[in-house]
Amino acid sequence: MDTILKINNLSAGYGEECVISDISFDVEAGKKVCIVGESGSGKTTLLKAIHGFGGVTKISGSIEIGKDVLLGVVPQNPGGSFNPIRTYKAQICEALKSNNIDFKIEEVEKTLQILGLSDARRALSSRPYELSGGMNQRMAIATTMLLEPGILLCDEVTSALDVKTAGMVVEQLLEINRLRNTTILMVTHHLGIASKMADFIGIMKSGRMLEYGPAKEILNNPQNEYTRNLLKAVPKLKVS
Amino acid sequence: MAKQILKRVLGLVLILLVLSFMVFGIMYLAPGDPAEKRLTSQGVVVTKEILQAERERLGLLRPFIVRYADWLKNVLRGDFGISFKDDLPVAPKLIKGLKNTIWLALSSLFLALIISFPLGLLSAVKKGKLVDHIARLFSFIGNSLPNFLISVLLMYLFCIQIKVFPVIADGSVKGLMLPALSLAIPMAGRFTRQIRSELIDQLGEEYVVGMKLRRVKGRFILINNVLRNSLGHILTIIGLQIGTLMGGSVVIESIFRWPGIGKLVMDSITARDYPVIMGFVLIMGTIYVVINLIVDIIYRLLDPRSF
Amino acid sequence: MNHKRKKINRIKVILSASVAVLLVLIALFASVIAPNDPYETCASAIRTAPSAEFLFGTDNLGRCVFSRVLYGARTTIAATFILVAISFILGSFIGVLSGYYGGILDEITMRIADIMLAFPQMVVAIAVAGILGGGLTSAMIALGITMWTGFARLARSHTFAIKNCPYVQAARLAGKSGSAIMMAHILPNIIAPLLTNALTQIGTTMIGISGLSFLGLGVVPPTAEWGSMINESRAYIQIAPWAVLYPAIATIVTIIVFNYLGDCVMEYRDED
Repeated sequence: MDTILKINNLSAGYGEECVISDISFDVEAGKKVCIVGESGSGKTTLLKAIHGFGGVTKISGSIEIGKDVLLGVVPQNPGGSFNPIRTYKAQICEALKSNNIDFKIEEVEKTLQILGLSDARRALSSRPYELSGGMNQRMAIATTMLLEPGILLCDEVTSALDVKTAGMVVEQLLEINRLRNTTILMVTHHLGIASKMADFIGIMKSGRMLEYGPAKEILNNPQNEYTRNLLKAVPKLKVS
Repeated sequence: MAKQILKRVLGLVLILLVLSFMVFGIMYLAPGDPAEKRLTSQGVVVTKEILQAERERLGLLRPFIVRYADWLKNVLRGDFGISFKDDLPVAPKLIKGLKNTIWLALSSLFLALIISFPLGLLSAVKKGKLVDHIARLFSFIGNSLPNFLISVLLMYLFCIQIKVFPVIADGSVKGLMLPALSLAIPMAGRFTRQIRSELIDQLGEEYVVGMKLRRVKGRFILINNVLRNSLGHILTIIGLQIGTLMGGSVVIESIFRWPGIGKLVMDSITARDYPVIMGFVLIMGTIYVVINLIVDIIYRLLDPRSF
Repeated sequence: MNHKRKKINRIKVILSASVAVLLVLIALFASVIAPNDPYETCASAIRTAPSAEFLFGTDNLGRCVFSRVLYGARTTIAATFILVAISFILGSFIGVLSGYYGGILDEITMRIADIMLAFPQMVVAIAVAGILGGGLTSAMIALGITMWTGFARLARSHTFAIKNCPYVQAARLAGKSGSAIMMAHILPNIIAPLLTNALTQIGTTMIGISGLSFLGLGVVPPTAEWGSMINESRAYIQIAPWAVLYPAIATIVTIIVFNYLGDCVMEYRDED
């Protein structure tokens, strides 16, 4: 398998203050990777360091992204990444035009439907402030997918949602991965969600990567004390 | 929405009623007897009998509330009474002055906006850079300059030292330049500052980062989103400055002898010509509240969340 | 980094406050500093250019412009301070009362404030000053009519926020009287933003007062005041520009200093 993203001994932070240090891991193309950690563990900083927006400065180490691989980013706040008072349609058109993607609005609607939005038509003519958090979040993910990214970076995309809606978002991400073979790198504080969807899991604490490996190994045979505690704390979830 | 607008319009009518009552009340309590003033200005030797007759003729002897109701009825019909100075109806004078004042106000507003809008925009986009510092310095100084000072200095510079513009603004376009500029400079200072801070707020919104992440082009973000979302606030800022502009135009019109409503009212204050002063306050107050109501409605139309 | 910014801000506040205090001192001691009598006319020295004797030259009546600028400082600054202080005290008093007690009192005062704010301030001021006839007092009344509302609204909203704090509730439950709570708990907590607002009002008020005086609706000649000095001497500006320029510079410098001080204090407080 090709490595699509390679992080080598990365240290980064805000200004001179180091938030994450000495992080290394590889992401293989087409895989779903979850980085799990509590608030303040540095997982969002890691994501920001990868996509380069959000004021994070790289202090040492390197981030290698595969050739011609586009990043798609879904931020934490559902709908927050869209202008609240303009229709999705207008904003999607702008995004596609900016990325030089030819499109017809019917195609967009169809694609959105395939990507898990059954009522795409209504969503397209709505403004973000009119829709629910879950709907906005799924819209944000689907719109990001319209730009045909190679890797989808998701920042806590389920944390603001209720359990049922969070489940729908996870299903949507799995569907995207299945249909398009898009690599997914998601950070979350929820080990349960990671165990449900990830091929690979990384555990972060205090700015360091405690362990990283195939999901099965991490879940069944954790090496680190902290990971064991995390696993114990997870409410029993059906892992399919 | 129609309901909300209706509510605001009703509130506006109430405010205007209060204004008219206050204007009339102040005039009623004002020192000086209009009848006497009127007679002396016409060169009549004032005796007690003549004075009393004149008061009777002007209806000054009736009770306050009757006079107010009478006055209000006439005002609503567009009759602002008769000037104490020359016995001519006040309304045509006010309207003639108002036309000139509106010209002056619009040109200075235009000047202020073409200075401050690009400056505020540039300053917000290049926050912390040299342009920003220059723009902030300009807006700070502009905001600190009284308009009468600017006009005296401009007059000294352009009319006396370089002799480009006429000293007295007689109503011509050339004569309009300096008065408009005098009003525009402090206003541009305030606009720059407010537009800058509004745009900085808007640029810091979460969606801007989201759009950058989607690689949306900078001009789309700025024009279609940031500016579009700020439009309501910027219009509100402009609407509120109209009040300052009205006060300023009185000063500027007097200095440049621009034949507007402000100069008219200053002349009338010297002559204690109450009907003109009353009409002036009423007209200016009405225009101001109506403009701000319209701005408020546009604001709501621009931001569907406000319903 | 933030710490450094804060330190710079503090230095800015101290520096601009020192300059402002200096200006106030100059105004206070105008009679000591002034080399000549500001009202003494001198027929032999009409419109003389600045010299050692008359630092800023003389005006149309041969009066010393330098001395008049100094005495004018006293008029302008004193009138501004008094007006701001009265509006501040009155507005805050009304605002705290209506914020604390709420109900019908609040409703009435806020409606009045709304109506006051609904009209252009300078238009009202010009009309009121014009009707009351000239004089510094009537100019101050004319400006004060609308000015108190700003303080009242600010005081009201801050009082509103603090009123429901646990420690105020506790004081009320302990049986303290309304006035005691307002004095001991509310006032100390809202005084800082109110004072900051007062500070930022000084520049605007100064512009208002000198503007009205310029129109002849403020001080009555021959009293020295910058606005009216500029108005008197602008007729002969070609011959004696100094009679206009020096009071003009004094006005600009003073307004800039106070506006800058207001901005700095606001920035400093925002950092907290």
